[in-house]
Amino acid sequence: MAKGLSRQKKRDLVAYSFIAPNFIGFAVFTLVPIVFAFALAFFNWDGSNPITFAGLSNFKQLTGDVFFKAALKNTIIYCVGTVPLTMIASLALAIVLNQKVVGRGIFRTLSFFPYVASLVAVTSVWKMLFHPSKGPINNILYTVFHVPMEQLPQWFTGGLVLVSMILFSVWKYMGYYMVIYLAGLQGISAELYEAASLDGANTWQKFQYITWPQLRSTTFFVVVMLTINCFKVYDIAIMLAGGGSGELTISSTVLVYYIYQKAFIDWKLGYSSAVAMVLFLMVFVVTMIQFRGQKKYQ
Amino acid sequence: MKKKLLSVLLATSMVMSMAGCGNSNSQPAASNDNAAETQTQAAETEAAPQTEAASEAQTADAAGGDAVTLKWAIWDKESTPYWQALVDAYKEVAPNVTIEMVDLGSTDYMTVLATELSGEGSDFDVVTIKDVPGYATLVQKNAILPLDDYISADGIDLSKYAGTTDQVTVDGSLYELPFRNDFWVLFYNKDLFDAKGVAYPTNDMTFDEYDALARELTDTTFGSQVYGAHYHTWRSAVQLFAVLDGKHTILDGDYEFMKPYYEMVLNQEKDGVCRKYTDLKAEGLHYSAAFSNGDVAMMNMGSWYVATLIASLQSGEYDADLCGNWGMVKYPHAEGVEPGSTLGTITGLSVTSATDTPDEAWNFVKWVSGEEGAAVMAATGNFPAIMTDEAMDLITGLDGFPTDDASKEAMNVSNLYLEVPYAENVSEINSALDSYHGSIMSGEMTIDEGIAAMNEAVQAIKN
Amino acid sequence: MKSARKKAIAGKVLVYVILIIIAALMIIPFIWMLSASIKSDREVFQMNPFVLIPENPKWSNYHDIWTKIPMLKFVENTVFLTIVVTFLQLLTSSFAAYSFAKLEFKHKNTLFFAYIATIAMPWQVYMVPQFIMMRKFGLNDKLLAIICLQAFSAFGVFMMKQFYEDIPDELCEAARIDGMSEYRIYASIMLPLSKPALSTLTIFTFVNTWNDYLGPLIYLKSEAKKTIQLGLKMFISQYSSDYGLIMAGSVLSLIPVLAVFLCLQKYFVEGVASTGLKG
Repeated sequence: MAKGLSRQKKRDLVAYSFIAPNFIGFAVFTLVPIVFAFALAFFNWDGSNPITFAGLSNFKQLTGDVFFKAALKNTIIYCVGTVPLTMIASLALAIVLNQKVVGRGIFRTLSFFPYVASLVAVTSVWKMLFHPSKGPINNILYTVFHVPMEQLPQWFTGGLVLVSMILFSVWKYMGYYMVIYLAGLQGISAELYEAASLDGANTWQKFQYITWPQLRSTTFFVVVMLTINCFKVYDIAIMLAGGGSGELTISSTVLVYYIYQKAFIDWKLGYSSAVAMVLFLMVFVVTMIQFRGQKKYQ
Repeated sequence: MKKKLLSVLLATSMVMSMAGCGNSNSQPAASNDNAAETQTQAAETEAAPQTEAASEAQTADAAGGDAVTLKWAIWDKESTPYWQALVDAYKEVAPNVTIEMVDLGSTDYMTVLATELSGEGSDFDVVTIKDVPGYATLVQKNAILPLDDYISADGIDLSKYAGTTDQVTVDGSLYELPFRNDFWVLFYNKDLFDAKGVAYPTNDMTFDEYDALARELTDTTFGSQVYGAHYHTWRSAVQLFAVLDGKHTILDGDYEFMKPYYEMVLNQEKDGVCRKYTDLKAEGLHYSAAFSNGDVAMMNMGSWYVATLIASLQSGEYDADLCGNWGMVKYPHAEGVEPGSTLGTITGLSVTSATDTPDEAWNFVKWVSGEEGAAVMAATGNFPAIMTDEAMDLITGLDGFPTDDASKEAMNVSNLYLEVPYAENVSEINSALDSYHGSIMSGEMTIDEGIAAMNEAVQAIKN
Repeated sequence: MKSARKKAIAGKVLVYVILIIIAALMIIPFIWMLSASIKSDREVFQMNPFVLIPENPKWSNYHDIWTKIPMLKFVENTVFLTIVVTFLQLLTSSFAAYSFAKLEFKHKNTLFFAYIATIAMPWQVYMVPQFIMMRKFGLNDKLLAIICLQAFSAFGVFMMKQFYEDIPDELCEAARIDGMSEYRIYASIMLPLSKPALSTLTIFTFVNTWNDYLGPLIYLKSEAKKTIQLGLKMFISQYSSDYGLIMAGSVLSLIPVLAVFLCLQKYFVEGVASTGLKG
């Protein structure tokens, strides 16, 4: 090809040729619409009529929107509940499954079951298990623990709906993060533990001084991915708490559901983008804080 | 260079597809062949005037009675027999028109449809309108055409539609023509009344009488439960009892008047008269499953359920021992209001703005929504928007339709209020009301809190 | 000494107890699903007494599902989509990731940031502009639309890059000195080393595409193009009372995903090991 190109130019070209197949597809089908959607936050558009400039009015409107505030609150509560719980559960599971136990492979596979299963299927099962009057969970509470009929928990409404959502997510995704932790654990040198044993360290001390610090970068990865995924929660809320007309009530609505509703039911695409901006900024800030935190400890 | 190549490619492919279209459309008419030929020749020169010529040629085709294909958006093709029946019948009337049905599924129908009709370039010609909020969306998006000119040109008498078209008129223009008009009645299971030795409900019941009757039939014994009433999880099933007095509408912005009805239903729920809302939501219990189980004495539901009941009993899907002996009466009414006021749900057809063949599309819409379409609908046990005596006789004469006089009388509606009439922000109002209905019914909010929240939300939307 | 051994045994027992409880928690819903899939509506919610296998198992559910909706067609479409998307995803992602991990070039960081930022954006936000654009390309109601949407995800590039960064740079440098082109280094050194990562990505992409609902809902309208997840949803709306049928469909839809997972799980753990470490 062109002889006059400098070495760096050539290297650039080679690099771009690697990226091109993916990047072209990615840019055309994902990046362009995203940039467009970002800009929409400052406009009003219904998907058909001409776009009109709205300035900051979409954002101003957000401040007085009851449903938006509820969605924001619920999403944050959900994240605060789900992120640490999933992290602890998956770490614990990984540590146990990193021991030499019989049937380790089977246990690992079983833990991965919920993640690979389709959401439609597992939420149906979940709703049967937690059915407020006929489900086995409440049945046990009633027959074994003698919880009076009227006080049986209503798992899919009111204050408990977020609890159900959190429990469900932990259950569904812990296997996934367990595998990541498992991988991290396998990377820790066995010598460290042997040395610690010679020094007379107990199990907890080994965890505290070896496992946990060694897993720091894995934990960072897990927490960042978890946070992003939790902020984007949508299907779980719809499938666990939706019903009737499919509307989520103020106690179960979440940001992405509200984005969906504003975009596809009310066709206020600009407003919907404004909500998305808030979501994006939150994820961004949280990720940045985590990033800083991680760097500090390294 | 690249740009030029691209535009040439585009122009060629566009014209080729047009030409191809023209060819397949045309009966061997000389003029048509010529048109196609000139198109291909001109392809090398300029594209813009060419496309115009092509589309002109196409409309000419349509007017001349040549083959036209109309793409029609529908839902649940498998479980809803009338779509195919309508298409078959129209084939007899207009053999040159092929109707291609596209099933968008019922769950997210209006969402998928509105997405499809966003921007330009949809290839749908006729779309079915499932609900008023969705209708409002499409009207505001200019995705469907106003039909007024067609209506006046063809001299359609809108008074035949029982006043429903007035409730969906937007700034003096009508964008849909209903072909189905369902109204809500009270279904009941005669066997359960007989077993208790209680007289059947009547066509003239106040809400207090209805409530008392439901309680009388209820049996909370474990294992042999009978529910006096059943309310599906839809907002309409409970909230809209309140608008039947004709003094209030769902768009009021002050919903204090709903309180007595919420109280009635929630008290019934507390006493085991009806299934719990939260249970229904958790299991996603369909109203048809509830009624066909044979433990529900009375259920308020739309008249679309008549066709389902008849068909499912005949096919053996429902156990005739459990729910085979059913009847209908008019909706209960508030004290001092004449009986026969009820809720209506219209299903309409619209012509899309994107269609190339609006005249053909309109002809189809007109036919389906007209008296011939009405006959087809009635023959499948569905309630057409134009209710003629013949259509009524067809339905009430169906094999499996209850034979008692009260059930037939129940079909006479005096006042029909749409579940949601048209308003500018009807979609948002609807969402807010739905959401707070859920809050009230599931006990997240007290009735007063819920109503206060509704008032606040709807007033905020209206301003 | 004795007490130490006792302690060790007690510890082991504890571990197994915990494991069995967790395994039970994970598996119960699936046993329930299997059991419900051969029950009639009435039996599904029967608690006292709960029976795992009903007296007259309703095997017809597994038969009906193929006849009540065109399930075979749905399976065909889903398999096609999943295979094509997974293949493209693996190919283009690993290709691009090599560049991001091992080559220095202009605008590298900017480009990479573009990838990362999109992971945090919910799809619902840009679905409408995307749809309008895709239709302009003539992709509406085409299986190709789903392929375009899914095959070039940022996630794949991000993940593969993490993995490649763990492979020592010296390997590439040595190859370069030997006069190998970058393409050959990628093909003969990187690819063979990245089997575990590729397996990981295969699973993730496979699961995602297989279970995707919203994408097919918006893009695939004609009956002949629909996927299994749309089919399952159709059940729920049309036969919403028929839990047994829904469960039978769910069980069927799980089988291929599980099969792929079982085949690849050996590599899978290793794969994440390499990507997870550096974060």
